[in-house]
Amino acid sequence: MKIDLLEMADGGGCSSKIPALQLEEFLKHLPLPEDPDILVNISNHDDAGVYRINDELALVFTNDFFPPVCSDPYEFGQIAAVNALSDVYAMGGRPVVALNIMMFPSSRLSPDVYAGILRGGYETAAGAGVSIIGGHTIDDPVPKYGLAVIGFVHPSGIITNAGAMPGDSIILTKPLGTGIILAANRLGLASQADISEALASMKQLNKPGADIMKKYGVKGATDITGFGLAGHTLKMARASEVSITLNMKQVRLIGNTLALVEDGCIPGAAFRNLDYIEKDTRFSAGLAYNLKMAACDAQTSGGLLISAAPEIAGQVVDELSETGFHKAAIIGKVTERSEKLLYLNE
Amino acid sequence: MKVIDTSGLQCPAPLIATRRAMKETEEGESFGIITDSKSSFENISRFLKDHGQEFSCEESSGKWILTINKGPTGNISVSPAGYCETPVPHFSKGDFIVAFGSDKMGEGNDELGRHLMINFVLALKDLDKLPVRMVFYNSGVLLGSEDSKAADHLNEMEKMGIELLFCETCVSYYSLSKKMKVGTLSNMFEIAQIMASASNIVKP
Repeated sequence: MKIDLLEMADGGGCSSKIPALQLEEFLKHLPLPEDPDILVNISNHDDAGVYRINDELALVFTNDFFPPVCSDPYEFGQIAAVNALSDVYAMGGRPVVALNIMMFPSSRLSPDVYAGILRGGYETAAGAGVSIIGGHTIDDPVPKYGLAVIGFVHPSGIITNAGAMPGDSIILTKPLGTGIILAANRLGLASQADISEALASMKQLNKPGADIMKKYGVKGATDITGFGLAGHTLKMARASEVSITLNMKQVRLIGNTLALVEDGCIPGAAFRNLDYIEKDTRFSAGLAYNLKMAACDAQTSGGLLISAAPEIAGQVVDELSETGFHKAAIIGKVTERSEKLLYLNE
Repeated sequence: MKVIDTSGLQCPAPLIATRRAMKETEEGESFGIITDSKSSFENISRFLKDHGQEFSCEESSGKWILTINKGPTGNISVSPAGYCETPVPHFSKGDFIVAFGSDKMGEGNDELGRHLMINFVLALKDLDKLPVRMVFYNSGVLLGSEDSKAADHLNEMEKMGIELLFCETCVSYYSLSKKMKVGTLSNMFEIAQIMASASNIVKP
């Protein structure tokens, strides 16, 4: 019998990430460890922590896991691994070793499913030059999988979400809409073409993006995941002490994303993200409701958001396109900090 | 009246049902939506508000029943998201900002000072020209908390399009993070920038 992993995750159409507003409330009560070798900590809500070993080497350390986003165990393993590695790429690092994080209902699912998920993870990691050297599994009613990843970065080459400079162009490397398409898929409303495009996008490693950023000396980037394009852009603007304007018409979307939004297929996570951004955001009068909700859509294994000097931005997009990121595009610009952090235009 | 029971359906199916009913219902007619998920209820409510739809809701034994009186929506897929635009002011704004550095007005008896400050906020609303922005720092932030008699009036002014900025450090210092009823939290840089670029500053 064919296993459908999606049936194992209840309420999955809504996000599995804790809402950003709530998370910030929790985190602000935790003391920040003080150590001069901690180069990036949680204070800017960056993608990963960075710890200096010596003047030539720092560790990029991150973890990420979630419940199934697709039916096939192998494919789920692939996507979870690509997503976990992405945080290292977003910081300009090179992932080196990883540990599996697995929650698995051993009484409900066969060992084949377990093996399928792990195989997807291992093969993806191996393809990225990463060795999985251990892990931890606990029994849990809803399967969840991901990786804890260690990468290397030169301390002077760290790319953070605090590195956006006024005048920079904002580039997004992957199309938006995975949250909306996945929710539609669960309800049987998504077309096969849309599902295929979303799965392919989620399986696409952000490694070429990291290589291109390093080549051009980019200082500011983040990856787009659960807080959506709008949420992660807002966090970048706040960390960089700048304002960012996004032109939503230049943002590429997966297949019929907008038509699905028009039908009301808006996952709960998009509303939580809207709650999070709206105080610090100005929405232009001409911005269509559906595009606004697409900007708030929670992404799984989304693209990199790159802040690049305007004179190199065009070349960066061209090289991204050559490496398979055909929907990479310049979608906005960075300005001096003004009244709002984020300006969402039509 | 058509009533759609979405109980048991996974998010966002209840919202999809709402959207469909909204399109199928004639203006002036009503329809009902039932959901057993609190988060779907919240999302539907938000969606309806975003589209300027009037509705009532009641909760009984774990189910939420929304009754929507379909109003004009125009072609909502292309209409702007009206609620989050900068409101068009129906009054004129003056060339000044107000800086609240205390919850009391003037020097002397504290109780009198607090009373005067509430009156000041009330009077502000009725001025011919309203401030562009108002900033709140030190005990001034107390005015925006749910315990303050000024909060409702400030809320009205915010709805009129006046920006209210509260010093985040001060809100934390007075442990008001969960009690703030109005405004946006701001940092000292932004407050300093606003004060430095204002033509006139009124300090009660």
